[in-house]
Amino acid sequence: MPRLLRHVLAVLVPVIAVLAALPAVYSNHLLLFNFVVFMGLAQGVNVIYGFTGYLPFGYVGFFGTGAYGFSLMVMHLHAPPLAALAVAGAAAMMLGLLLTPLFRLSGAYFSIANLAAALAVLQVVSNPALEPITGGPYGVSLSGVYAPDFAYATALAILAATLLLVIYLRNSRFGLALQAIREDAISAAMAGIDVVRARIIAWLLSALIAGLMGGVFAWYVSVFYADTAFQGEFTIFAIVFALFGGTATVLGPILGVVILYGIYNTIGITAPQYFQLIYGCLIMGLVLFLPNGLTSLLRRRGIDVP
Amino acid sequence: MLSSPLATEIVNGLFFSLVGGLIYGLYFSLIGLGLNLIFGVMRIVNLAHGDFLMLGAFAAYFAFEFLSASPIVSALFVFALFALLAFPLYYALVPRLLTARDPEMLSIILFFGLSQVIQALATISFGTSEHSIPGRALAVGPMAILGQSFPKTWVISAGVSAVAVVGIYLYLYRTRIGYLTRAVMVHREEAVSTGIDVHRVSAIAFGIGLGLAAVAGVFAPFMLNVITPAMGVDVTITSFTVIVIGSLGNPLGTVLGGILYGVSYMVMQRYLSSWANLLPYLVLIAVLLVRPSGLLGRQVRRA
Amino acid sequence: MFRRSLLGLSLVALLGFGSALAAEAPSEIKLGTLYASSGTFASISMPVHLGLKLWMDQKNAEGGVFVRAFNKKIPLKMVEYDDQSNTATAATLYNQLITQDKVDVLISDSGSVLTSVAVPIARDHKMLLIDQTGTGAKFFSPDNPYIVLIADPVSSIWPKPLADFLTHDGPGLGIKRVAMIYATNDFTGTQAAAVRKFVTEAKAGVELVYDEGIPTETSNYTVYINKIQSANPDAVIHLGYATNDIAFLRSLADSGAQFKMLFAIYPGLETELLEKNVGAKGLEHVFTYVPSSELEYKPDFGMTLTEYKDAWHKKYPDGKVEFGFNSVAGYTTGLVLEKALGETASLDQLDLRKAFDAVSGKLKTIDGLFEIDATGAQIGSLTPLGQLVPDGKGSIKFVSIYPHDTATGKPVYPAP
Repeated sequence: MPRLLRHVLAVLVPVIAVLAALPAVYSNHLLLFNFVVFMGLAQGVNVIYGFTGYLPFGYVGFFGTGAYGFSLMVMHLHAPPLAALAVAGAAAMMLGLLLTPLFRLSGAYFSIANLAAALAVLQVVSNPALEPITGGPYGVSLSGVYAPDFAYATALAILAATLLLVIYLRNSRFGLALQAIREDAISAAMAGIDVVRARIIAWLLSALIAGLMGGVFAWYVSVFYADTAFQGEFTIFAIVFALFGGTATVLGPILGVVILYGIYNTIGITAPQYFQLIYGCLIMGLVLFLPNGLTSLLRRRGIDVP
Repeated sequence: MLSSPLATEIVNGLFFSLVGGLIYGLYFSLIGLGLNLIFGVMRIVNLAHGDFLMLGAFAAYFAFEFLSASPIVSALFVFALFALLAFPLYYALVPRLLTARDPEMLSIILFFGLSQVIQALATISFGTSEHSIPGRALAVGPMAILGQSFPKTWVISAGVSAVAVVGIYLYLYRTRIGYLTRAVMVHREEAVSTGIDVHRVSAIAFGIGLGLAAVAGVFAPFMLNVITPAMGVDVTITSFTVIVIGSLGNPLGTVLGGILYGVSYMVMQRYLSSWANLLPYLVLIAVLLVRPSGLLGRQVRRA
Repeated sequence: MFRRSLLGLSLVALLGFGSALAAEAPSEIKLGTLYASSGTFASISMPVHLGLKLWMDQKNAEGGVFVRAFNKKIPLKMVEYDDQSNTATAATLYNQLITQDKVDVLISDSGSVLTSVAVPIARDHKMLLIDQTGTGAKFFSPDNPYIVLIADPVSSIWPKPLADFLTHDGPGLGIKRVAMIYATNDFTGTQAAAVRKFVTEAKAGVELVYDEGIPTETSNYTVYINKIQSANPDAVIHLGYATNDIAFLRSLADSGAQFKMLFAIYPGLETELLEKNVGAKGLEHVFTYVPSSELEYKPDFGMTLTEYKDAWHKKYPDGKVEFGFNSVAGYTTGLVLEKALGETASLDQLDLRKAFDAVSGKLKTIDGLFEIDATGAQIGSLTPLGQLVPDGKGSIKFVSIYPHDTATGKPVYPAP
């Protein structure tokens, strides 16, 4: 059977099935929800970094934009949650479009500029002058849409779509084109790939994923401050999870989230004061010794990882 | 004597922000100086820069508490200490990093990890509460400049910054190692092929960069008022703004960047205070997009 | 053989009978709470947490806390997690306490930010949230019975002594122009709004000639001090967190400016920390809130301030966590909870809330009077306005100024 279908059955179905069944047996649903969100975000980073080589150090900007897009629709237009969610995704994509000029910059400058952009959005959203619209520094409080079970199911649906997208990228000419761009943009252009267009598409898709996750996050928690929705942890964790597992694969980020986020929650509860130290060392070790992630250990042996 | 409200406002308000911003900004030039050197020579994003500054600040704090050491003395000592410590750190991290496929991007994550480690160790050792050094350790009260009064501590910090800038300039343009450093900054691969020991030059630059960060840290209790183990993050981001506005490799560019940052920040504080923190980010993006080589420089950053 | 089995049978019957009686009462009361050991809020969270623990250990040494529902003393057990000042982590952990650990009593972490995420979670799971020091006015609404604020007055009431001093005593002292600068966040933003409201409503000829909100991350105030000076105020109010207060006072000392009256919050709430960073000289004649850790209220329940201070230093001799306002708050939470458990009809969450309502207005602890309004917001334990004056030994001490019935001295105005 075609590779794409095999990957779908091997990865997507089990992951979604397990995540759908867990709330029945494990009652800390918020934790499960966080797992789903991070899985989505890690795949989003995967799309832009794993496939095109640009590191979105301000990735949380899309997440927060999605969260606020959702919130504004609910607070001011009393929109139904799914419609607000669509707006969340659209808002994140608009921000992505606005930031496309950043692609002119090389590596590190792109990342720094992306980070500055995310922080700029945070500053705008949390400004007291905008309090009547966004709640300013006093936070957002959504009433009337509180539906954690439905939100969880929606998050799962978004994750499923995301995984499908990454599987598609893994198995398609378009995904190959992106990887070619990552390796050497000039050669790729010479081979006839429309570099600019391909990058922008990947970027917007990545932004969309984060925006939708942000929207569903706002829906689930319904009370949050601006710096919660824009906190650097979302970017850093998504990047580290994706890198740890191995980018340009579907399985990599999933492994990364399951292992590292799982460790985070266990250490976080039992030995919190050393937690930052352990995580910092882990990140450094990761970059120095395993920069291509866990799945690279398998790929080196020739095993085809989905 | 002009007595119209506009004139008073310009004299008291705008002028105050301009002059104050200049002095305040020079301190940020100092912070950016070290980062500029490291980034210019090794193309490494030192996300832990602010954390080294934090360590320098705590070193000065303890030196004052237990040895009653003046910050100026601490600054010299701290520079030497961190410059020395930088060598083993360099050789442990950078050569391996540079063998990866895209060291620039990975350096962001590596140094972020280092930043977390430093913060964690600092929190475990020092606790989380705020610390500071009394102003009298350096100077007491204000001094008059061009009819406005500014804290003496600011002027002294700006003075130290100016000395550092001159020092770096002389290093880069008047010493042999500085000459080699500039060569590596322009084109690393070519420098290797001309026989320059790139690692040695880079390690020295790394040492000077971290040393300068620590020196800036010594004056942080006076410029930023409060030091905590978590203060590094914001400082790092600001220092990137400063070096971006200026340009790579040129210390004068960092000075200009710092001054522009300081002045615009204080002018914003005066007139649009709630938006003051937004400005640095917008300036950074604008400069990168409009004039990628910075306001003074030749180095290009295009993809 | 028959006698032995008769003995065995009667033993079993006795045990069965005994356990049938005790089947209602749990073997222990599980208190679920969070604390922040690191991050922005660690300095306000750890003292509160340790104060609560001190109370709990005391009660357990006495055999437990008396619960009226079961007419006996039941020991306490604490389930505690570290949220590291991160609101997302805190939210997950609150959820964990409710859904996994199934605690009997849910107690929030300290401060409005870390409490804010608990409010909807508690409400959704129909758990009463024991809010220790989260004073955000938004938490309390008539349609939510699942929250009660214990140790700090709600932000919209807290600055009343300050505002009243300015409008009642102020004109007599020559105070007409007031400058207010505040950090824009839930805690101080709401206090600023309250000051604004009280001052304008009083119509006492006192007006706000300068009213500016600045970002909470501001680290240097030189420009703002310059601006305030040009407004020529008779009194200056600064509302911010401890970091802001430290930065403001230091910038003030550096700039050489002098204000006739200056008010700040944290010289009162975290005096040791401020004195360490600003110096006793920098705090002289500063007006601030007089914390319960400085005022000897005569409590009718629980230890007195001196007794509590001794107990604290005995239990935590290393001095790593500072004794002050927040350590009193944690202990007070325990005391009020004890009183409520002593009144409650059952461990059902709404019955617990009714017990707190029953205790309201009748309980005086070292924190002052415990009194909540219909929405669960604390309107008692108001901290009086005081001034820090030199004590002649190189340090500073509190003088309570307003209200007059708790005053221990007269204000020094204008500041020399």
